[in-house]
Amino acid sequence: MNPPHVVVIGGGATGAAVAHDLALRGLRVTVVERGEVTSGTTGRHHGLLHSGARYAVKDQESAKECIEENMILRRIAPGSFELNNGLFVAITDEDMAYRPAFLEGLETCGIPYKEITPQEALAREPNLNPAVKAAVEVPDGTMDAMRLPLRFLATAQSHGARILTYTEVEEILMQGRTVTGVRVRDHVTEQTYTIGADIVVNAGGAWAGKIAALAGVDVPLQPSPGVLVAVYGRWNNMVLNRMHRSGDGDIIVPQRTLSVIGTSSWVVEDPDRLEMKAEHIDLMYEYGAQLVPAIREAKLRAAWAAARPLIGSGGAQTGRELSRTFKCFDHAERDGVEGFVTIAGGKATTARGMAEVTANVVVKKLGLDAPCRTREVVLLPHTAYYRRRA
Amino acid sequence: MNAEEYRRPAPRLPAPQAKEWLAFSKRGVGGWAFLLHRLTGLVLVFYLFLHLAVLSALARGPQAYQAMLAFMDSPLIVALEVGLIATIAFHALNGIRLVLMGFGVGVRAHKALFWVAFVLAAGLTALAALAMF
Amino acid sequence: MAEVTFKIYRYKPGAIDPPRYDTYRVSIEPHTTVLDVLEHLRLDDPTLTYRHSCHHGSCGTCGMLVNGKEVLACVTRVADLKTDTVVIEPLRHQPLISDLVVDMTPFFEKYEPVGMPYIRESEYLPHSQPPEEVGAYTRFENCLECGLCLSACPVVGSDPDYLGPAALAAAARVVQEPRGQDVPTVLAMVDTEEGCWRCHAAMECSEVCPNDVDPGGLIMFLRRELLTGTSRSGGKR
Repeated sequence: MNPPHVVVIGGGATGAAVAHDLALRGLRVTVVERGEVTSGTTGRHHGLLHSGARYAVKDQESAKECIEENMILRRIAPGSFELNNGLFVAITDEDMAYRPAFLEGLETCGIPYKEITPQEALAREPNLNPAVKAAVEVPDGTMDAMRLPLRFLATAQSHGARILTYTEVEEILMQGRTVTGVRVRDHVTEQTYTIGADIVVNAGGAWAGKIAALAGVDVPLQPSPGVLVAVYGRWNNMVLNRMHRSGDGDIIVPQRTLSVIGTSSWVVEDPDRLEMKAEHIDLMYEYGAQLVPAIREAKLRAAWAAARPLIGSGGAQTGRELSRTFKCFDHAERDGVEGFVTIAGGKATTARGMAEVTANVVVKKLGLDAPCRTREVVLLPHTAYYRRRA
Repeated sequence: MNAEEYRRPAPRLPAPQAKEWLAFSKRGVGGWAFLLHRLTGLVLVFYLFLHLAVLSALARGPQAYQAMLAFMDSPLIVALEVGLIATIAFHALNGIRLVLMGFGVGVRAHKALFWVAFVLAAGLTALAALAMF
Repeated sequence: MAEVTFKIYRYKPGAIDPPRYDTYRVSIEPHTTVLDVLEHLRLDDPTLTYRHSCHHGSCGTCGMLVNGKEVLACVTRVADLKTDTVVIEPLRHQPLISDLVVDMTPFFEKYEPVGMPYIRESEYLPHSQPPEEVGAYTRFENCLECGLCLSACPVVGSDPDYLGPAALAAAARVVQEPRGQDVPTVLAMVDTEEGCWRCHAAMECSEVCPNDVDPGGLIMFLRRELLTGTSRSGGKR
């Protein structure tokens, strides 16, 4: 008998990790993605492997998820991270006032850290603002926003999963209150066809609300875009963070030959309509220069907007107040729609954990006993994603 | 139609062809050097056969050869010979540039080296033309 | 704000075949990139397909021809092109899937066997003094695997068996910094007729490379290594 078939909607970090997890558990998996894989929010994020320190005070649930997944990812995806660590620096007296709460948060969340003197911080990061008053090193890192998900997809593929790009879901097929599959349009040929499924997983990220609406259910999702700015030049070795409540333009992630400053934050209804706010470019430069003054003179490579898929139910002003944690919705329990599961929220760093929770729900619904193996299995290299398939 | 019946067609394969050598409209100095080297090379191959044809007049006796030499003194042929010298000079000098690059010498300065080869070839050609006319 | 005409190559096997150019008028801002324009057009025409991911020239997916030149669409500002008409076409010398989407499988078939590790030793910032216990920070390789070099190379166009600039550049990086890879094996891989000797030094790869990998220079580096044999002892480092 064929194992059950799961259709995963969305080829971003979440969909990739879900496909990998389910394929490892022996299920048949098909991923459908309307564009290129990782073309939504995934590819556009900072490229930050979170230690969780950024959320250690205000959003400890997310911080704990981050540090746990950070350590797992280093094990299962060697070669996908710049092992450069992160530095949280206090510049002003206000930052210094935040320091005790920050250190306490790191302790509470189990995030390893080492406080270094301002002199040492400046020796290691000569471009850092010389006004630095305190510096704490944490296991942040730079990740390749596209190639880590490609490794999940490549490994899923090697276990039989099919990845269908440029394939857009037009309809979620239902019999009564049970989801039976999807009708998709292949944008390569503009033909439509149906894919039957025992369960459909909605891993649409910022688009998860739109996808859920196709099945007539509501997901409390708040797309929250931010502007990021990439400048030429590597201005720091480590990921630099401002030691304060996370705000605008307070991270600089070195990435290859570039430095990425981010972000701003606001909220939108439709993640397809992200207006790149030109005035935010200047803001990023200004805030970035508080960490690394010389960055003011750096040449702009690109500025872009990306939509965070935050969980919230309206009323959010900027998105900063919403948690970065994730939630898996079984719509049978919640909305009386069988065979449909949504995974929403989260971060690229926690994608594997999100997938584990989601796949647990899926196998339970299917009545299978198949444990998660993604904590141990080392992923194939990203280049394997492009291997010719039979 | 369901997923079992649907099949996405295979990608359209590019047709490899030598005309790609001529797709240089947006090319840089290196691309022009590449193209010129190939064109001058072709001209030299063509000339080699022409040269053999001229020499083969010898096989038809001294008279035939003298007639051929007289023809070769015509201004049109002399002008073509100047062109031949330009071709040889460029191909030889750019060839040296390519050999140097192969040894890792002057790779970063390959554009300047091209212009050196080009100007030297032009100078040699001008000198030869002065001597011939 | 200015209005610019975009002529975009369209091809869909069976649906738009033979290919055609669709024309669009779009108003642009000073910071608008070619990728922004495509994203904008797709809101009204979801059938338009193209590759994209990071939007800042780090992933290497949005390579295409803009006015005949190989670029990454995400870091190409329309205003900088200084033309009223912008022609957008897919990369050359690679199989075409649909519209601007090329199939990267042949690229990776040649690139993957070289086995270049994707993280490299970091160059420290000038004046940076990391302490003893910080052995080395690492960073990603410069190559974005975008395929622009293959599209620009005249030899790739006429000889599909040629290893090509990207794979050869990766091989040169292994020779420069082996990081556990077997240098003699990689050198043997490129010391062939279809390897580094096939290059005719048009240097167009280095011209279009969006991240200064300089594949042309690295191919010449491989030739020198093979000619002078400095790598036979197993690499420089």
